[in-house]
Formats: sequence, C-alpha cells, structure tokens
Amino acid sequence: MENRPFLRSALAFYTALFIGFLYAPFVVLGILSFQAGPEGGPQFPITEWSTYWYEHIFGLTPPSRIAPLPIGEAMIRSLTLAFMTMVTSTVLGTMTAQAFRRRFKGSGFVFYLVVLGMIVPGVLVGLGLALVANNLGISRAWWGTAYVAHVLYTFPFAFLVMLAIFNRFDRSVEEAAWSLGVTPMRTFRKVTFPLIFPGVLSSMLFAFTLSYDEFPRTLFAAGADLTLPLAIYGTFSVEIHPNIFAFGVLTTLFSFSILAVYGILMSLSVRRAKKAAIQEDIQ
Amino acid sequence: MTAILELKNVTKRYGGDTALDGLSVTLEANEYISLLGPSGSGKSTLLRVIAGFEKPDAGEVLLEGRSLAQVPAYRRGIGFVSQGFALFPHLSVFENVAFGLRNREDDPLQDAAELRRRVDEMLALVGLSDLGERGIDQISGGQKQRVALARTLVADPKIILLDEPLGALDANLRARMRVELRRIRQQLGITFMHVTGNEEEALAMGDRVAVLDSGRLAQISDPDSVYNRPQSARVAKFLNCYNMFEGRRDEGGAFHAGVSSFACSPGAAAAGVYCVRFDKIRVVPLQGLSEDGGTGVRATFITSEYAGPRITYFFRGADGKVLEVEYHLSHRRPDEFAVGGDYWLSWSPDEALVYFQ
Repeated sequence: MENRPFLRSALAFYTALFIGFLYAPFVVLGILSFQAGPEGGPQFPITEWSTYWYEHIFGLTPPSRIAPLPIGEAMIRSLTLAFMTMVTSTVLGTMTAQAFRRRFKGSGFVFYLVVLGMIVPGVLVGLGLALVANNLGISRAWWGTAYVAHVLYTFPFAFLVMLAIFNRFDRSVEEAAWSLGVTPMRTFRKVTFPLIFPGVLSSMLFAFTLSYDEFPRTLFAAGADLTLPLAIYGTFSVEIHPNIFAFGVLTTLFSFSILAVYGILMSLSVRRAKKAAIQEDIQ
Repeated sequence: MTAILELKNVTKRYGGDTALDGLSVTLEANEYISLLGPSGSGKSTLLRVIAGFEKPDAGEVLLEGRSLAQVPAYRRGIGFVSQGFALFPHLSVFENVAFGLRNREDDPLQDAAELRRRVDEMLALVGLSDLGERGIDQISGGQKQRVALARTLVADPKIILLDEPLGALDANLRARMRVELRRIRQQLGITFMHVTGNEEEALAMGDRVAVLDSGRLAQISDPDSVYNRPQSARVAKFLNCYNMFEGRRDEGGAFHAGVSSFACSPGAAAAGVYCVRFDKIRVVPLQGLSEDGGTGVRATFITSEYAGPRITYFFRGADGKVLEVEYHLSHRRPDEFAVGGDYWLSWSPDEALVYFQ
C-alpha cells in the first residue's frame, strides 16, 4: 500500500468525494438556515448572518408576510403515529421472527408475503389503500388508514432485524430454562427477551424513523389531517423560506442529542465492565 | 434396583438420516451410565429425545413407568447440562443457579432467605461459594461447568443428562471435574446419563457403559466387560485400543489378513475381524527370533509417544497399516527401537478377539 502513492491519493480523493456528497446537503442546509430574514431567500449568498428563522419557528419574530410553519399539530400527529407504528411493528416483527425459528409448512411463502410490504412501490400501496378504504366506506385518517400503511411498510424491516438476531441466538439457553421446569412463556420473558433486547431496540428505531418521515404511502392514506412530511411538503408548493432549513437543523440536532445520550450510556456501561474485569485480574 | 427411565424402540429421523434406529435401553435408579459413541452415532439426539427437546418418530420414553409422549420438556423433571453449558449470560452466577427455583412452573420459590440458603448450599457443593456475584463472562471454563451443574442440581431432577460436559475443558481440568462429578453424584444419589466421545471418560465414569453405533445400542455392560470383551468389532474400534485386521478364517483355524496369518480358534471358514489390544503385544527383534516367532506380524518401527505411565510405539505393517503397541511403564523401562528397523510384533493367540460376520 505504502509504495503505491497513486492508489493512495485516488482512494483519498474517492473518500473525500463520498463524504462530501453524504454531508454537503446538510452543511448547505445548516448554512442557509442562518440567512437574514424576512427578506433573505433559500439561496446563496447569505445577505446577513442571523438567527431570524429559528425565532420565526417559535413565533418570536414580529408578524410578517411569511406565515409560521404549520407544523405544531402535524408534528404531534407524526410522533404519535411513529410511536404506534413502532410498537405494533416491533411486536409483530418479533413474534413473526420467533415463528420462523422453526421451519413450518409454507414458511417460504409467508416470508415473501411479509417482505412484500417493503418491496411494493409506496405510491401504489398508498393509492391502493385509499381506493380500498373508499370502496369499503372507511374514512381515511392518519391514525387509521395511514397507520395500516405504515405498519405494512415497517413490519418487514422489524421482522428482518429480528430474524437476523434470532439467527445468531443460541437456543440452548432456552432449552436449559425448560429443563429447569420453566414454562416457554416465562422462559421468553426471563431469558429470550433480555438477550434479544438490543435487537428489539434497533428494530424499534428502524420502525420509528421509517414511519416518522414516510411520505408516499401517507400522501394518499392520511386523509385531511396531515403528518409532518406532508405538512412540510405543503409549504413547498407556495414558496420556500429558510425556516424549513432551520427546522431541519433543529430536528437533526434533536436526533444527535438522543444518539449522544445513548452513546454515553453505552460507553459508561462498557467502562464499568472493563473496570470489573481489571479488578478480577488484580485479585 | 428399579428402572427409572425406559426407552422402547425409539426412532428419530432428520430428513433422510436416521439418528436413532429402534433404540431400547433401561436406566436404573441412582445409576451412572455413560454413553459412548463416535460423532454422528446419535448420542446427542438420544439425550435430546429424553429431555423432550425432540419428539421421537416412533417408540416410547417412559419415566418411572409413565409415558412422556405428551409431557413437554418443562414438566419432565429431567435435568440437562449441554456441551456449551448454556448459562444465562445476562445473569450472575447466583442468579443462574437461582433461576430454576425462582421461575419454575411448579411451586416457584419466593422466599428470599430460603432461596439464598439453597443456592449457597449448592454453590458450596460445587466449590463456587465466593463467586456468586460474578458475571458469567468473569469466570473460567471449569467454573462455568460447575455453575451449569449447580443450576441443574438445585432443581432436584430425577435424572441428569450430561451432553459431553467435559468436552470444552482442557485435559487437566477434565480429570478434576471427573472426580468432582463422582463425588457430587455420591452425595446426592441421582441418576446420571453422561454422553461422551472419549472412551477413557466413558470407562472411568460409568457404572455401566452403553456403546452407541449408528443409532443402535452396540453394547451395554459394566466398563470392565466393555473394555476387555467388546461384543463386536465396531465396539472394539470405538475403544481405540485395538489393532484390527480384516480377513478370513480357513477350516484349519488360521486367520488370513492380507499377507499375514494368525493362529485362531478352529471353526467353519468365515470372514471376520481379528483384534489385538495395544498392550497385549510384545516387540521382538528379528535377529534373536527363532524360525517361528509365534503368532504375530512383521512390522517397521516408525515412532513412539511417551505419556508418563505408558508409552505407545507406532509400527507400519507389511500392508502399510499403522499398528500400535502400548507398554505400561510402572514395572519396566521403555524400550529403544531403531527407526525404520523391522521387528516382530508377537502376541498370545488367547488374547486376540475374533469377530465373524
């Protein structure tokens, strides 16, 4: 490697390009969110640096011709929907993956049936669901038809995550529990679940994030009350202002801070385990 | 002695493979039975069927005379210690042992003081008294083995099934755990069924040794009989202490195996296997040999392996087959043989075992 300077610089260039494309949109978004307001637009150059658009989101600026983002209620709806979807999909996904630990008749067919939910184009599913609901006389709502569409979409992801977890799961610990006279139900609660919990957590995260910014299925299935992605898209059709960017930065920071808390907790527990191991060595 | 567990014609197939082929065996109460067989002989399957993790395709398992066909694993009262120990990695040593008492379906133990007393008592029995609070990843392999045993023993099972329990331990630890297992068993008086692929372990541990071959019982008897009088050539082969020659006996009572022939009991002509135990052979230099060296075979010395109380010499026979000779060194010194030199391996025909098909 060290005596191939060309390859080295080519790889470095490629990596830089990759990282650039990955993060450039976010950097641009971040910079433009500090555009002056209310006259400044969503493009360069920055006329003047300000936090106007952040204040605008929270309604702290004097009234102007630009309406505040209609996101308050939409955000609560989206969070609620994402939470409902997360719980349902994770429970369903875990149960289905548990069923798939033993080969049963038609398991191959059922597998594709489940995975279909993430393969079929979202717009078609949303449209189809809306048509079915109309024909059956069911009114469309974010907590009804859209909820069904979201579960349909996120359930296969939760299922696949849990399938991978169970693939690596050593079933002999469950057998050990049974041979001690513990029922399969209690064994699941006391042994299986604690051991697969990291998997359950990632499956929950998956379902939550996928549902939170789901667009094509929700577009047709949500009915009159909009979810957050729909509400934001709605503002685009009029005119785009940097307040959207400011909002994007805020949500990203929110996600990062949750990840940071998670990371700190993890490293603390790892450090504690290491400390214990070192003490063992000393003794 | 009363029968505690009885298997009648148990058959288990996996796809096209037959793991257990109409196997019948009876376990007496308070017996230590070791189950010897090569890998793939169905010994682990047998344990899994008894424990209730697998359903037999045919046949019956009876515990104290009661059929287990409809009894799930968690209602059988049969302890199971698996090869990898299968400890609960998220629980401490203490909690691993307490798990069964705390969570069992039948009469779970809620009283904390009583629970602590019983778990501590069991940890003391297996010599882990001061490790109760440790995590599973903070103890050694031998200690894990003891935790697995304690966890099973504390549930007070009628039978304990051990699936190659010492396989994951190093030789030194294995020898110590053998002694430990015997001591624990004498203290508690439980029936043990110990599966192993190691012939020494099987002979050392078992009141009786059952030899399993391709899903069938090849022999079940006391260790001495298995070692000295294996019932078939297959059993002799698993014991890994016999030189075996395939061949034919003629009417004159000579057994012909390739270019060699040996003295053999007279009888009708038949194909068979001629077996001589490693330690029944004497090595004689060719020079000092009279015309007829007695029953034996000419072979070339390859190498030796010194193992403290005994030494094993490896020879190559005329047909290229490796032959082993074992000398016990308690009353003699090891002999020196010239590498590549020819010798006569001699034995008394009475010591040979011949099996006819």
